[in-house]
Amino acid sequence: MAQNVNPFLEQQSSSNKQSDDSRKLQNDNHAVTKRLHKELMNLMMSQDKSISAFPEGENLFKWIGTISGPKDTVYEALKFKLSFLFPHSYPYTAPTVKFITPCFHPNVDTNGNICLDILKDKWSALYDVRTILLSIQGLLAEPNNDSPLNSLAAEKWTDQDAFKKLVLEIYKE
Amino acid sequence: MTASEQIGLNKTWELSLYELHRTPQDTITDNTEIAVSPRSLHSELMCPICLDMLKKTMTTKECLHRFCSDCIVTALRSGNKECPTCRKKLVSKRSLRADPNFDLLISKIHPSRDEYEAHQERVLAKLNKSHSREALVQSITVGMKAQSQNRPNRSRKANEAAGVENHDENLSNVANNNAPAAETVPQNPPTVQNAAPTAPAANSTVPGSPAPSGRSTPSQPPSPVSSSVSSASKSFGKRPKSTLTSERSEAEESESSERTEQTDTEGEPEPMTINEIELVFKPHPTEMLGDNSLVKALKENSIRYIKTTANATVDHLHKYLAMRLTLDLDSQLSTTHSLLNFCIYVQPGSGQQYVQLNGNQTLGQVNDKYWKVNRPLEMYYSWKKT
Repeated sequence: MAQNVNPFLEQQSSSNKQSDDSRKLQNDNHAVTKRLHKELMNLMMSQDKSISAFPEGENLFKWIGTISGPKDTVYEALKFKLSFLFPHSYPYTAPTVKFITPCFHPNVDTNGNICLDILKDKWSALYDVRTILLSIQGLLAEPNNDSPLNSLAAEKWTDQDAFKKLVLEIYKE
Repeated sequence: MTASEQIGLNKTWELSLYELHRTPQDTITDNTEIAVSPRSLHSELMCPICLDMLKKTMTTKECLHRFCSDCIVTALRSGNKECPTCRKKLVSKRSLRADPNFDLLISKIHPSRDEYEAHQERVLAKLNKSHSREALVQSITVGMKAQSQNRPNRSRKANEAAGVENHDENLSNVANNNAPAAETVPQNPPTVQNAAPTAPAANSTVPGSPAPSGRSTPSQPPSPVSSSVSSASKSFGKRPKSTLTSERSEAEESESSERTEQTDTEGEPEPMTINEIELVFKPHPTEMLGDNSLVKALKENSIRYIKTTANATVDHLHKYLAMRLTLDLDSQLSTTHSLLNFCIYVQPGSGQQYVQLNGNQTLGQVNDKYWKVNRPLEMYYSWKKT
C-alpha cells in the first residue's frame, strides 16, 4: 500500500525538530513503551471503577489518572485527577506523580506534590500505575501525620468535621 | 500448648468453601487430554518487571522469585538492594542464580516464542496506530491551514521566476520537501506534450496514452522522459502499474523524474509555472457515506493528496481512481467496468452545489473556472458498485 499522507503535514513535521527528537527518544525506549502499553491494556481491562488512567495525548510518557475518594472518609464522592510523568528509566525509577485537583491532605502540599515512600526510596520495579493509584487512594484514607507536607492539614486531621469543610473548600473539579 | 496456638490449629482444621462443595471426580484412565491454554499460564511465566515472558530466567536464592536476567540486573543496579517482589535483601548478583530449567519449561510451552513476540508487537503497533489516528486527523487540519497561509507566497515566487533556473530551484525544493508522500498522477501526458510542443493540446494525446490494461510501458515513445518513467515503473514491477498513476513512495525516485522535467523545461522556452497543481481528493460527502463499499474498503485512504500537472484531465482522475480501487481493494473489477461508475465533482464555494465535471476538462481549467482561491484544489468523487 503506497503512502498517502498530506505532503504539507510531512513537510511540517520534518521541520519541527523537537517532535522528531522526541520520536527518536521513544524508539530508544522501546522496552519502556512496551511496558507502558501493557499497563494501559491491563488498566483498560480491569473492572475497578474507582481508579483509571490514560496517556495524555500523543505522549505515552505522560498520563492522567483519576481516583475517587475512598468510602467512609472525608474524601468520599470526590474525584481527584493526578498527573504521571514517566522517566526513561521506568520502571527502575518511579514516575513523578502529582495531584492536579487541589487536595487538602497532610501528605500533599499546595502544589500537588505527594509524600509517599513508594514513590521515593521504597520504589520497586514491580509497582505500576494501578498500584500507585491504589496506594494514593489508601493514603487519602490513612494519612501519615508524622511527616506532614501540609502541617495545617495534619493538625486538623483529628477533627474530621472541620477537616472535611477544608477539603471541600479547596476542592474544585 | 498455648491458647493462641490452639486457635491457629482450629483455623487450619476448618474446611474451605472449595473443600465443602467439591464432588468426587472419576479418575481419568483413557487417553483423554486436557488442554491448558498458554494464556492461563501467562502470569506464571511472566517477568513482573517487563511484564513480558521470562527471558534467561534468574531466581533469587533466598525467596525464589523469578525475573528476566536483564530486568533484575538493571533493577539491582538502579534501585534498592532488595527483591522487587518481596523486599528481601539482595546483596548483589550473587544472591541470584540462573534457572535454565524454567527456560526449558517456557520453551516447551511456547515452542514458537518468536511468533508469540511478533504477535505481541503487532498488537502493540495496532494500539499505537489507533492511539495516534485522532492526532493525525488533527494535525492534517493544522497542516492544511499552514499550507493555505504559505500558498500565496509560494506562487508569487514561482511567478516571479523569470529565469528558468530560479524557478527550477523552487520546484525541486517543493519536490524534495513533499516527495516522500506525494502522489503524482498522470505523469505521461504532459511529458509527451513537452517532447512535442507542436502537438495541439494535451487532450489530443489523451485517448491513446492510457491503455485500459493499465500497462502501457512498451507503447511509449523512446524519449529520455519515457525511459525514466519506465525505469520507475520497473522498480514497482510487482504491482500492476499504469504509466498514468506513477505513485512515489521514495524521494529518490521522484527526484529523478522531477529532474527529467527540469531538463525538459531547460529545452523549452515555455515556463512551467502553471503546470503543477495540488489537489485534495475526497469522497463525496453525501453520495459517499460511511456505508459505501468503496469508502469502507479504503478507510483512512479515502482522502488522497495528489500532486500532478495542470493539463491532466478529469478523465485521468477517473482512471487514477479506478487504478487506486483495484490496487487497494485487490479486487477483480475490470478497469473499464468500474470506470463508468465514477463521478467527479467540485464545489465552487462553501455551501454551494457540487458541480459534476466533464471528462475532458483539464485540472487547470477546473481550477480556474471553479476554484480560483490560492489553496489546493479540492475535488470529490463518488462511486457505485453497479
